[in-house]
Amino acid sequence: MIRYFSNIWQSITTLLIGLRITLVHLAKARKGIVTLQYPEERWPRPERNIGFSHDSYNVIRSRLHVDIDDCIGCLKCVRACPVDCIHIKTVKVEKGTDILEANHIGITSNGTQKRLLLTRFDIDMSECCYCNLCVYPCPEDCIFMTGGPNSSKQEIDYEFSEYNRSDLIYRFAKVPKDQVEKYTPPPKEKVKIDVAG
Amino acid sequence: MGIETSTLDRSAIHGEEMVLNIGPQHPSTHGVLRLQVLTDGEIVTKITPYIGYLHRCFEKHCENVTYEQVIPYTDRCDYVASMNNNFGYAVAMEELMGIEVPEKVHHIRVIVAELNRIASHHLAIGTFGLDVGAFTPFLYCFRDRERILDLFELLCGARLLYNYIWVGGVSHDFPIGFVEKVYEFLDYFEPKIQEYNDLLTFNKIFIERTADVGVLPADVAISYGVSGPNLRGSGVKWDLRKNEPYSIYNKFEFDIPIGTGAMGTVGDCWDRYYVRIRELEESVKITRQALDQMPREGDVHAALPKKIRPPKGHVYSRTETPRGDLGFYIISDGKPKPFRLKLRSPAFTALSCIDEIARGWMIADVIAILGSLDIVLGEIDR
Repeated sequence: MIRYFSNIWQSITTLLIGLRITLVHLAKARKGIVTLQYPEERWPRPERNIGFSHDSYNVIRSRLHVDIDDCIGCLKCVRACPVDCIHIKTVKVEKGTDILEANHIGITSNGTQKRLLLTRFDIDMSECCYCNLCVYPCPEDCIFMTGGPNSSKQEIDYEFSEYNRSDLIYRFAKVPKDQVEKYTPPPKEKVKIDVAG
Repeated sequence: MGIETSTLDRSAIHGEEMVLNIGPQHPSTHGVLRLQVLTDGEIVTKITPYIGYLHRCFEKHCENVTYEQVIPYTDRCDYVASMNNNFGYAVAMEELMGIEVPEKVHHIRVIVAELNRIASHHLAIGTFGLDVGAFTPFLYCFRDRERILDLFELLCGARLLYNYIWVGGVSHDFPIGFVEKVYEFLDYFEPKIQEYNDLLTFNKIFIERTADVGVLPADVAISYGVSGPNLRGSGVKWDLRKNEPYSIYNKFEFDIPIGTGAMGTVGDCWDRYYVRIRELEESVKITRQALDQMPREGDVHAALPKKIRPPKGHVYSRTETPRGDLGFYIISDGKPKPFRLKLRSPAFTALSCIDEIARGWMIADVIAILGSLDIVLGEIDR
């Protein structure tokens, strides 16, 4: 009998204790304390010091961007990528020459002379896992997530939805499409593999 | 009430058995898990968990990527406690390669791992409340978890999959003002634990739902290999941070909360839940000590070769994640890619004992038991 009433007493008191917290929270609640009307308002992104040297570079995870004029085609980012979403094709050209019809400038902003012409530099952002591993090995500091040290040129862009999945493949190479073949060396003769056997 | 049903004379009420499928798309399975429940009326006679819906070939994948590239994949195993997974892998790799990391790195790792533990326990507590029908604590937990995620966003840009702790160090130093923000968060957070207690822990309805339900005795827990808060809830004082200290956990003072059966039997759902609540306090303690002791200056990378090539050999190393002992078994054949990598997942062992502890309970209690085990399917299926 005592237990029966003590159970009722406990139920009422513990419920009231819980309700008190909710009521206090309600009294303190300001407008928009929880719900954010997303497309109209956005959660503020944390402020941090973003610089070009790797000591002060704070990471941002958003869309990858390549300053293609600075890229020397060293393939270090391709090797670092754990999901193989970066695809690069290069052609050997004379060291340091400008090929204007292919938008190829022979020297990077760091002063490195380019030996390779990039006929293809595609990043498939639908495959990207935003691990940021490709950024660190880059010798020319040309691949970054948007809003990183390149934020003056590239605003942060973390909501890049597309209607078509192929639109998520970002093509950075500047060689015009119809001229790619001109710079592509003829394919080597392939050894025939007998599939049926 | 559950207490009576488990002691009913089953032979008298034996009827036709029915197979009930819970999941794979079910909100209380915490992922994609199918439970095939054999029921006799309302009473569960057998549970068979079917896993593999989230299988992503983690272990096979690791054999085809270099040692550095494994880290983003470990993020995706236990996706609510990524830092701890990174930590476990880094500790295993450093043991394999024989690297000594700087003092500052140790502190940074402990701070982020404990913060992530708090975030992970928030999710466990909140969704457990949600499973047994309390919606409000869930919102309070996620409100506070959001602050930790904001801190991590400030730290490394990502909110869930961090790729922050690397082999031989961390990817970069704390940003300016981060330490103060963590202190601020801890000051804000500590009184909130009382709020959760008032809202959920000592609520009579919650106690009735969870106390005495799904008792996991200590010997069963040990024989199944259950670890972490689930094992401690059964009254076994076992925590790798204390028993086999890795990194610098032996420098800090903290207690290991264990289940005492305060509301019912030792090892019931309530005990497992309350261990998590008390671990929040312990994590706050550890974080504070680590922040106080952290050297402010120093390098955050150990000296490493450009390409990580561990010597031939193998290592098994385990660390304490919010879910229990996370073990990495790595075999190296001297090449830049691992020959074999095995992950010992604590959530898998926790799930494996569900048949043992949920048999004889009602279907509604199965949901409570599953919630109290706090499994993450990303880690079970990997």
